[in-house]
Amino acid sequence: MRVKVQNLTKRFGEVTAVDNLTAEFESGKLIALLGPSGCGKTTMLNMLSGILPVTEGQIFFDDKDVTDLTPDKREVGLVFQNYALYPHMTVLENICFPLKIKKVPKAERIEKAKEFAKMVHIEEYLNRKPKELSGGQQQRVAIARALVKNPKLLLLDEPLSNLDAKLRVEMREEIRRIQRESGVTTFFVTHDQEEASAISDYIMLMKLGEMQQFDKTRNLYNQPANLFVADFIGSPTINQLHGIYTEGGIKVDGDNQIIKTNNKWQVEEGSRVVLASRAEAITFNDKDDIKTKVVEYYLSGKDTLVNLKIGSYNLRGYIDATKAIKIGDNLNIGFKKEGVFLFDELTGERYYE
Amino acid sequence: MKNTERNKKIILYVILAIGAFIMFFPFFWMIVTSLKTGFEANKVPPTIFPAKPTLDNYVYALKTAPFLKYFKNSLIVTIFCVTITMFNTILAAFAFSKMKFPGRDIIFAALVAMMMIPFEMLIITNYSTIVKFGLYDTIIALIIPFTSSIFYTYILRNFFMSVPDSLYHSAKIDGASDWQFLWEILVPIAKPSLVTIALLNAIACWNSFLWSILVINSTENRTLPFGLFAFTNETGIRYERLMAGATIVVLPMIILFLFARKSIVTGVSRGGLKG
Repeated sequence: MRVKVQNLTKRFGEVTAVDNLTAEFESGKLIALLGPSGCGKTTMLNMLSGILPVTEGQIFFDDKDVTDLTPDKREVGLVFQNYALYPHMTVLENICFPLKIKKVPKAERIEKAKEFAKMVHIEEYLNRKPKELSGGQQQRVAIARALVKNPKLLLLDEPLSNLDAKLRVEMREEIRRIQRESGVTTFFVTHDQEEASAISDYIMLMKLGEMQQFDKTRNLYNQPANLFVADFIGSPTINQLHGIYTEGGIKVDGDNQIIKTNNKWQVEEGSRVVLASRAEAITFNDKDDIKTKVVEYYLSGKDTLVNLKIGSYNLRGYIDATKAIKIGDNLNIGFKKEGVFLFDELTGERYYE
Repeated sequence: MKNTERNKKIILYVILAIGAFIMFFPFFWMIVTSLKTGFEANKVPPTIFPAKPTLDNYVYALKTAPFLKYFKNSLIVTIFCVTITMFNTILAAFAFSKMKFPGRDIIFAALVAMMMIPFEMLIITNYSTIVKFGLYDTIIALIIPFTSSIFYTYILRNFFMSVPDSLYHSAKIDGASDWQFLWEILVPIAKPSLVTIALLNAIACWNSFLWSILVINSTENRTLPFGLFAFTNETGIRYERLMAGATIVVLPMIILFLFARKSIVTGVSRGGLKG
């Protein structure tokens, strides 16, 4: 099902949790709502589910306006952060519950519940109570319960945050698999950019209730809309050199060189800017002429991650592990064209080429 | 070190034993006396165990006073009081914990403040209400004033509030109405609390005395405590007979307590959802 939100706004008293958000979400995709805590992503999810009434704006499922519909009429499935399984019911009863409410005949609902239990791999625990299950198993039950009534929309509220690191990676792949198998449009709230990048088709990155960028997952990394996006997405964090744009290059604070890259930006002379670069966009060729100093280095397989100093800022890049370096070395670097961006220091807006 | 700990335990057990003995002795004496003959009951020094146990006193008690009728009345009053109170309490506690409506917390605070009004102050107004309704000297008069309880509502509301809202939202998303959520999810989760409240309520109803003396006149509508009171007056100072009557009155409660002891204790000491 296609989802559209128009001028969606939610205010709690003085605080604006979601601010005038307009977007359209393709059917059958996995969409991550990403952002730091307090950015309004869970509020957004709760408005889609109908738990929270909207302050302003509209929500459309396909072309139907569902803004004023209560949760039970929206045909959505929601997996809560704490799973919210009914503690007095067994796994089977939990999964059956939505069907029981719908008055589906008992034999049919048990058969259906078993089918979904199998899909999320919990068929051997059907007679256990939720508290006898591990976090990962509980979450699978919650997903099965959300899917059993064939929702048009599946909403997941930080479903992985209560799991340990190993299980988290495993479960996110599971979620991706289950979403593909069921084909249901899925929203997934997370504050972990790695998690969002790993499994989603689209990411909506939010900050203080405002949408920063909504695009294909790859594009947030390759074409960040502003400095916040560039900074939030990617690991290691994008390198940031603050300085003044002068003579067609950037003079980094605390340094005398004028850094020229292969990009052609239209910037007013003397503007305060931030030169941002991905670690893999740093080159160490012989003709490179930007002088830096090695601060620290970390061996990791075939590459070495080097921490370099330029002016008052640090910069990370990957250098061939065969190259011998030591702390304090002078090292010349250059920038590739891809993965290098220029932002206005004050507004964070991007200068496009 | 070990010795002092053991001594502490011994002292503790001695104190507990004395306490248990003090609590238990009146019951013991009541039962023992009810099995004695009139002569033996008044003997000085008293005997601890009856020389020749007899059930004559019970036969007498059941013959002179319609204890079975009283018992039936008490049972009817208790069952109705508890059932209706539980129903009202569950609905009120749900409204005051999970539903959102303007003035909710103020109304609840006002209700809680009303708990400060002592029952004795309500007796006169309740009495005149009952008389005006034409319910004087009926069983219904014993039931109606006790079909809701702020105190139990307060306890249950606190329990309901400890149930995470996400369960409520989850049930809503699963398509459940408030009514379905209440009976299918909240009430089963709250079972231990509900059992405790029901038991406390049942004991209070069973022992209610002052009110029944006021609104009941005829013999056939008396409940057990009132019946026992009347029996006392009629019997005079034949202790062995009085004790037989008293035993008949308290026995059902003791049996109930023995069976439900575990639920009462766990229910009282239990707070949240986690078990």
